[in-house]
Amino acid sequence: MDTTLYPQLDDVNAISTAFGEAGYICTPRIATVVYLAAALNKPILVEGPPGVGKTELAKTCAEVIAKPLVRLQCYEGLDEAKALYEWKYGKQLLYTQILKEQLGDILGGAKGLKESIQRLHSTGDVFYAKEFLEPRPLLRAMEQDDGAVLLIDEIDKADFEFESLLLEVLSDYQISIPEIGTIQARSKPMVFLTSNDTRDLSDALKRRCLHLHIPFPSIELEGRIVTARVPELESQLSDQLVRFVHAIRELDLKKAPAISETLDWARSLVLLHANQLDSGLVHDTLNVLLKYEEDIVEAEGQLGKLLKIADGL
Amino acid sequence: MTPATGSSQLLAFIKFLRGKDVPVSPADTLDAVHAAGLLGYEDRTTLRDGLAAVLAKSTFEESAYREAFDLFFAPQHPETNTLGDAKDPQETSTSEEDNHQNNNAPANGSAASLEELLQNPTAQDDPALAGLMNSALMNALQNGDEGTLAMAIEAAAEMAKVDEIRLFTQRGQFTRKLLDALGEAALRDAAIEFEKTQPKAFKEIQRLRENLRHRARDRVERAYLVHAAGDTEDFLDEALAEVRLANISPHQMARMRKLMDRMARKLASRHGRRRRKKRRGQLNVPMTLRASVATDGIPFNTHWRQIQRKRPQVMAICDVSGSVAAYAKFLLMFLYALQDVLPRTRSFAFSSSLGEVTDWFSDFPVEEAISRVNRVYGGATDYARALSDFSDLALQDINKATTVIILGDARNNNSDPRLDLLAEIKAKCKRLIWLNPEPRLAWGTGDSAMLPVTQHCHLATECNNLKQLERIIDTLLSAMHGN
Repeated sequence: MDTTLYPQLDDVNAISTAFGEAGYICTPRIATVVYLAAALNKPILVEGPPGVGKTELAKTCAEVIAKPLVRLQCYEGLDEAKALYEWKYGKQLLYTQILKEQLGDILGGAKGLKESIQRLHSTGDVFYAKEFLEPRPLLRAMEQDDGAVLLIDEIDKADFEFESLLLEVLSDYQISIPEIGTIQARSKPMVFLTSNDTRDLSDALKRRCLHLHIPFPSIELEGRIVTARVPELESQLSDQLVRFVHAIRELDLKKAPAISETLDWARSLVLLHANQLDSGLVHDTLNVLLKYEEDIVEAEGQLGKLLKIADGL
Repeated sequence: MTPATGSSQLLAFIKFLRGKDVPVSPADTLDAVHAAGLLGYEDRTTLRDGLAAVLAKSTFEESAYREAFDLFFAPQHPETNTLGDAKDPQETSTSEEDNHQNNNAPANGSAASLEELLQNPTAQDDPALAGLMNSALMNALQNGDEGTLAMAIEAAAEMAKVDEIRLFTQRGQFTRKLLDALGEAALRDAAIEFEKTQPKAFKEIQRLRENLRHRARDRVERAYLVHAAGDTEDFLDEALAEVRLANISPHQMARMRKLMDRMARKLASRHGRRRRKKRRGQLNVPMTLRASVATDGIPFNTHWRQIQRKRPQVMAICDVSGSVAAYAKFLLMFLYALQDVLPRTRSFAFSSSLGEVTDWFSDFPVEEAISRVNRVYGGATDYARALSDFSDLALQDINKATTVIILGDARNNNSDPRLDLLAEIKAKCKRLIWLNPEPRLAWGTGDSAMLPVTQHCHLATECNNLKQLERIIDTLLSAMHGN
């Protein structure tokens, strides 16, 4: 166990408190998994609906342990050259051109082909050295001297093959570059992978990670999150708002509002100096909460009922 | 729970989990033991959360895991408490009396009462009874020492070979064996002896015996769940896969769902997302440049972005009229369980008129979607109308990457099924598959137009149980991703 690297993460309760102070209210579940990840040196695979704070968890973790956050955003077609490393081909080409003259010096006085080749061999693979290597996020995270947080965001968007590419990084914290050899991580980073569940990830990948599913929060928890994130909001209005959002999630919607939408809404209400949820206000600001026209229509149809629930009736 | 009994319990739990269809690898087991060691066994919720992260790798597995955890690590022996609370009034009064007699009695009145009750010279002179009173088991039982009790029960379970239980009906027999191995016979003898002479002590002994029996039965039932329930489940699954889909009764649906999900997962992982490499498309500049280093910067060998993403599409057309509705349900369920490898499935339902029902399946849970389909499109079959509706709706979207699956019995009430439309579909698509729930021998009998239909399909096959369905979809997927 590498307690020296991330001393902030060696106790479940301490994690809860530290994350709370950084503005991330985490359930005991989340704290336990973060603790285990630090203690077992394993990546965390965070799943859950969009907007429940998966990415935020990694960012907060970086903040709490005060280490740089290295982020890799995944997309279809993401490959080795964008994620791991790339050779600086231009530089290599340029250098070969410039060094052509030097070649004469090295080979000068060599007798026969065999000796020339031997002399060339003795110079080593100069063009495939670290100086010609362009590190991409994964390699960069491995090269941090004293720890980092590596966030591999929306891994489900990347291709199936890319997952296999990640396996070496995730299980051994190393990257093999054929021309150079294996590069070991200087210090093991905390790794977070997030997934929106658009497709199943491979078993091999899952096996290397701790699994954390973050669902929509309970009313009580969401209330605490709103208070932590938007302290300007009056507590009475914040209660009302959270109950309203929970009622709206019960509706038959295309996309239920997540925590990030709740927070956006809370912030807009603060800007509007609102102190009470009423039908006019909700009508005007519902588009912050709901992203589809048909959802808005659906919710507006039931506004009376929703407001009643929000008032705790 | 102490760490020592804890980790052996943990191993048993993992075996139990595997029986519940949660695959746990040896590496996961190691991690689980580490995690449990770090978290400790004291706090049940923390342990449950922590082990969930290590052992359950998806939401499906997580719900199975939680269920299993609650079942396996049932809150510790509630019967110790419930029995104490649920004493009948008479008994309560006696223990109250005891407390009156002896004010120094510990808070746990019932635990000390047997010794109290046996402050009787005759009993103390009886060597057998004295031995019984001093046995570790009795002490543990009376003092509520869970650790010692658990260990004694484990040891006795080993002796009685409780883990060999295979049938549910063997529970009684194994419980008896376990109790005998525990040395419960001595308690029984004592009970018989006291029944007449010392009613208070008799009651107390009976209470302890009851407690012990509960624990023993728990242990045996757990052994059954861990070691035998899996076999029975497999047997039931196996049987269910071969039952005609129309005969599956509602109470078997839950098991059926699970079975289908599992098959779908198996198929999905087998067929993955295979990609074909091609020498065409966009130039891979870095690769080409890199290769050109060898040829003095002249791009002699070109490299291409070789990944060709296949966009297979399935269109499923299902007859939902009375005779075939049950089969349609399972076909659609299966296709939607395969979203992972068949992300662009479109579904259509018809009996007389035809409509697209794709959105229902993305918006509603499968059962709900299917009942909607049946409500809206149920009725008498008309293939001619259905096929022409389909042509209007989707013919323009069919291309050489499209597989069209039609599920129906091809019984068109003796009217013209418009096979020309079918031929047109066949010409445009990659594969046209007709699934008929009727056995092959019945094809072409009565008003069945199945025989001419077969000529217009790439594949026409009988499909009426889950096994056949799985096999068909397997070939479908390999044809789709293979070439």
